[in-house]
Amino acid sequence: MKRALLRNIDNTNSADINEYIKISGYASLLKALEMKPSDVIDEVKTSGLRGRGGAGFPTATKWAFASMDPKFPKYLICNADEGEPGTFKDRPILEKNPHQLIEGMIISAYALSAEYGYIYLRGEYPNACNILNNAIKQAYGKGYLGDNISGKGVRFHLHVHQGAGAYICGEETALIDSLEGKRGQPRIKPPFPVNEGFLSRPTIVNNVETFANIPYIMEIGGEQYAKIGSPQCPGPKLFSVSGHVKTPGVYELPMGTTLREIIYTHCGGIKDDKKLKAVIPGGISTPILPADKIDCPMDFVSMPRYGSMLGSGAVMVFDESTDLVKVCLRAIKFFEHESCGKCTPCREGVGWMRAILKRICDYNGRETDIEHLLEVSENISGNTFCPLGDGAATVVQNFIKHFRGEFESKIKI
Amino acid sequence: MITVTINGKKITLEKQVTVLEAARSAGIKIPTLCHHETLEAFGGCRLCLVEIEKIPKLQTSCTIYITDGMVVHSETERVVNARKAMLEFLLINHPLDCPYCDKAGECDLQDLAAKYGPTTGRFAEGKRTHPESYDDPVIVRNMERCISCTRCVRMCDKVQGASAISMVNRTSKTFVEPFSGKRYDCEYCGNCLSVCPVGAIMSRMYKHKYRPWYIDKNINTICSYCGVGCSVTAQVKGDSLVRVVPEMGKGLNKGLLCVRGRFGYDYVNSSARLKTPLIRRNGELQQVTWSEAFKYAADRLRDIKERYGSEAIAGIAGGRCANEDIYIFQKFIRGVLGSNNIDSIANFSYAPAQRFFERIFGQGVTANSIQGISNSDGIFVVGGDPTSINPILGLQIRAAYQQGIPVITVGDTPGLKRFATCMLKPNPFTETALLVSLLSELKVKKQFLGGNSSFERLINNISALSMKEVEDICGLPTDNIASAVNMLSNMTNPSIVIGKDILQRTDGHINLLLLSAIMYLINGRVYLLSEFPNEQGLVDMGCLPDMLPGGRPIEIESFKKRYEEIVGLNISSTHGLSLSGIIENAYTGKIKAIQIIGENVLSNIPDSNYVGKAFSNLELLIVQDSLMTETAGLAHVVLPSLSWLERKGSYTNLERRMQFMGKAVEGDGLEDWRIISEISKMLSFDMGYKGLEDILSEIARVSPLHKDITYNDISGDECIWPYKGEPLRHGVSLEGMDVPDIGSLLKKPAKDRVYAVFDKELFHPDSLSRKSAAISSISPEPCSRVNRALADRLSVSEGDYLNISTDAGSIEMAVKIDEDIPENVVMIPNNFEGKGIFNIMQWKLNPVLKCPVLDGNEVKLKKAEARS
Repeated sequence: MKRALLRNIDNTNSADINEYIKISGYASLLKALEMKPSDVIDEVKTSGLRGRGGAGFPTATKWAFASMDPKFPKYLICNADEGEPGTFKDRPILEKNPHQLIEGMIISAYALSAEYGYIYLRGEYPNACNILNNAIKQAYGKGYLGDNISGKGVRFHLHVHQGAGAYICGEETALIDSLEGKRGQPRIKPPFPVNEGFLSRPTIVNNVETFANIPYIMEIGGEQYAKIGSPQCPGPKLFSVSGHVKTPGVYELPMGTTLREIIYTHCGGIKDDKKLKAVIPGGISTPILPADKIDCPMDFVSMPRYGSMLGSGAVMVFDESTDLVKVCLRAIKFFEHESCGKCTPCREGVGWMRAILKRICDYNGRETDIEHLLEVSENISGNTFCPLGDGAATVVQNFIKHFRGEFESKIKI
Repeated sequence: MITVTINGKKITLEKQVTVLEAARSAGIKIPTLCHHETLEAFGGCRLCLVEIEKIPKLQTSCTIYITDGMVVHSETERVVNARKAMLEFLLINHPLDCPYCDKAGECDLQDLAAKYGPTTGRFAEGKRTHPESYDDPVIVRNMERCISCTRCVRMCDKVQGASAISMVNRTSKTFVEPFSGKRYDCEYCGNCLSVCPVGAIMSRMYKHKYRPWYIDKNINTICSYCGVGCSVTAQVKGDSLVRVVPEMGKGLNKGLLCVRGRFGYDYVNSSARLKTPLIRRNGELQQVTWSEAFKYAADRLRDIKERYGSEAIAGIAGGRCANEDIYIFQKFIRGVLGSNNIDSIANFSYAPAQRFFERIFGQGVTANSIQGISNSDGIFVVGGDPTSINPILGLQIRAAYQQGIPVITVGDTPGLKRFATCMLKPNPFTETALLVSLLSELKVKKQFLGGNSSFERLINNISALSMKEVEDICGLPTDNIASAVNMLSNMTNPSIVIGKDILQRTDGHINLLLLSAIMYLINGRVYLLSEFPNEQGLVDMGCLPDMLPGGRPIEIESFKKRYEEIVGLNISSTHGLSLSGIIENAYTGKIKAIQIIGENVLSNIPDSNYVGKAFSNLELLIVQDSLMTETAGLAHVVLPSLSWLERKGSYTNLERRMQFMGKAVEGDGLEDWRIISEISKMLSFDMGYKGLEDILSEIARVSPLHKDITYNDISGDECIWPYKGEPLRHGVSLEGMDVPDIGSLLKKPAKDRVYAVFDKELFHPDSLSRKSAAISSISPEPCSRVNRALADRLSVSEGDYLNISTDAGSIEMAVKIDEDIPENVVMIPNNFEGKGIFNIMQWKLNPVLKCPVLDGNEVKLKKAEARS
């Protein structure tokens, strides 16, 4: 497949605007500016694009909500707070292909009549920050950003805001609070950001990869785009593969490529040709899959049927030598550390799960611990303010569901 | 209409409310911790989870709104289990130190755990630890107990507007801290501790001294600090006061308090309390019995009256005395002693301003609800900082600003710094020119409403000053003034909040006229700030040299006659001396005897030296007070009166709302009215009151305004002007109002001079709060404020001492740097004995209002010698 999102990636100077323009960069913007804003939204609707942040919400639907809201100004935010463990798929776009993101944001802003945009960038991506700022400067220089974009009287200003390292700020309402200068914690929904977001104005928050898809949709047309990959959620998808594979990295593949194909065809199989034990298919908060379940097509619709989720497309591969109880403890430590403290079950419950897992890992577990762990996780599950706590509970539940024996063997010695 | 079914019960409501509100309206209890009626929803504690049909997950009832046909279950097994689980989670890190936690017995978490929670904890790994913080003098923080409900933070941010505390850290290490990490840097309103559901933020005032179940009595009363009159509850165990607390949602303060109301009540137990009567013998105050004191006072008064006549006697009433006391006081001075020389500090600016407004706008023009401020469409603040003078009124302005209502301030209003749309900070004492310019612009932009053509003519005759002309005088850029004018002209029902500082000026009477004119043009509602809880009472009860109770002019024969008939005493119809006149005549020796009730005149009137000399000339100074004050120190007879909390009575606040104060504890001393009636008896007039009811029923007969009023009315919900009575109706009169001479305003203040400006600061706006150990521990000494440039010029830095001198004297005071005041100003409070701005002022009166003026005090500053 021809690359759409990382097309210039082999060019060492790919972040330069002139290199981008050489491969017909910003042509999609000019094309979009000739269209009516509502037609741009329609085109995205035709494409069937779903948000690439993890939830897979249809992008055009989100846009339609925001554009129907009569309040102005509207704000456009790019969620570049890529913090889900295992996920590094946005990084190549940010660092190697920033102009495709910027172009995507400008087109979106035009479609949504937003005049101000922010890229909320993960604090641990300082390089990307420099690259983005430089790219934005170049875009201003070429007249793609500013008060009169390409002489069409369209206004859009774009700023980069660096996060301070909180996982919760990847949650869009916490991101907005943080952007407003507050402590990043999720807000009560409704109202949703599309109606009351940044500074209480309609705000559209989309993932980096989602925005990067927009110029491509404009280029080939929604109908063509809809033919790529899985029919129900089409398009190219970035997979960041890590763990025990021969060639880990970011792969751009059609939506719906099976996990087996990703691991064995594209990543060269398991490192040292060991046996595969398990895969976490979409970032740490998606349910772990045992080795016999890897024939699932990686898309938003198919994955739930296999007991997991596509998430961000961050594939973590574990071979037979992995101590999965330790992996589970490590994951829960992460969730505990990142629990924002807003709601009781996540703030207190995740730490409790960590404590139980720790004693199991230390061979101090009690016979009742597995049941106890499941009970705590069920008390968290569904009762938290935002999906972060749910994510932690899911991890524990699925690790135990598929690999209960490993937990038991640590207790019964 | 929306109908929902909760636990099988059908509830129909008009408004879309939350499920929690709907349930509570039907008496269905859903437990909560982070929810609070006065705060916006948070949804964090997850205790109020309920099951809603057709929604798979449990939902927090505090955040989800009802929809028609919704079916809710709050007591299913699933919900109860989730609730238990949440409590178990909360108790993972919450210490089980209930036996020595002050909150035990009134702790929401304890109550819920007892009701729903598991009996044993399963978490075995040890709780988090965090040292208890004693960084604050009046607040103790125990963050091990914090359950991260954020009620305190939301209160601080959204209601108090202080933003002094925040949640810090993440996960189970989340807790509340001030930004410094140590001591609060805030207004110490303590509203954070009111809303803490557990024992995480507590008052140090009663730490380890009380248990809720020890409380024998809860007495409703009214705070005694300022003119707002907040409702508080005094809690008593046996004979002693345990604490004074607000009740959430109650009173016009809706349960909010300021630092003085919350922590300042301990002045009642101050060591400065007077316990026995004192008589000056051989130059020293000596303890005597009550009967000796009454006889002595009566004999001396009779003697002076016989020798010099009634005109040589005067009475000064205080704004913290109850209506009943001051009514009896004026009756005594007028009827028994035969002198109309009765007045109070209220007559310096509060009463004249009110009277002036009433002449133009009609009676009761100042009787406006404080809660109404946030319903207006603009706020104009001038002459003082409402957030320090009347803090709860100030909160209304902050709330209004947060709702997007424009707020314009004139002068130094540090408490509104973050809540003002437009701040005008003219050069010291040039507000008059600014007001003329605002008026001139508004005259162009606004149409007269009609209705008061003579006043409109007067307004038209006031010469104009352009913004350009004023720019130099006031030191304000034209566009700053223009933006204020624009905002003012767009307002349709603004609130105008007026502090006394703008009126106690050489041009105070002109300011009053200009403010009335602006008010007339923009259809403003006026609020007069008041430092005293019963300043309005002083006016209404006739503690004025020319007015009888109910605001009836003494010279009108029918009023005088009615008064004489009911009271049974003859009175003079000539106007008596006003307060400044009383002092001047004492100074010159014409006044020989003064009786003062509940007022520290020596400290509260500029200039203290002059007043001190005047009082030293007296043959008789009788002071009734609950505390030993500077004034009492000069007295010949000191009669200890009962303090607030020790007696019943009524107060009339700045909204002209009458409120009842209850008695919580016994005290040494007598009610002021009882002291006066005892002296009166010795002077052969037995007033014959058995109790307060007798006095109120007489007031209800004497004062047409208080016609038929009873304590049931006063203790009821709304006892607001004009009560059940009749305000005096009279036509609009502009008699004596002159068009001011604008020419005299066109003077620029000299650049190289520094002026002292009176600073009514929050902690100690006057001399009462220093008797509170709690407030003195927060703010132990007076502080002057200067701009950094001035501080640099004087080479002083924060914490150094400044020597401030004028021809009248000199004082030394610590320095605080404040960037928001002009370079040629030093802000000086007047709160500590011998160390206030009134100690270095000259006796100078406004020619019309006859009040001592606060302006034009040029000072010399130098760094004081190093202090230990």
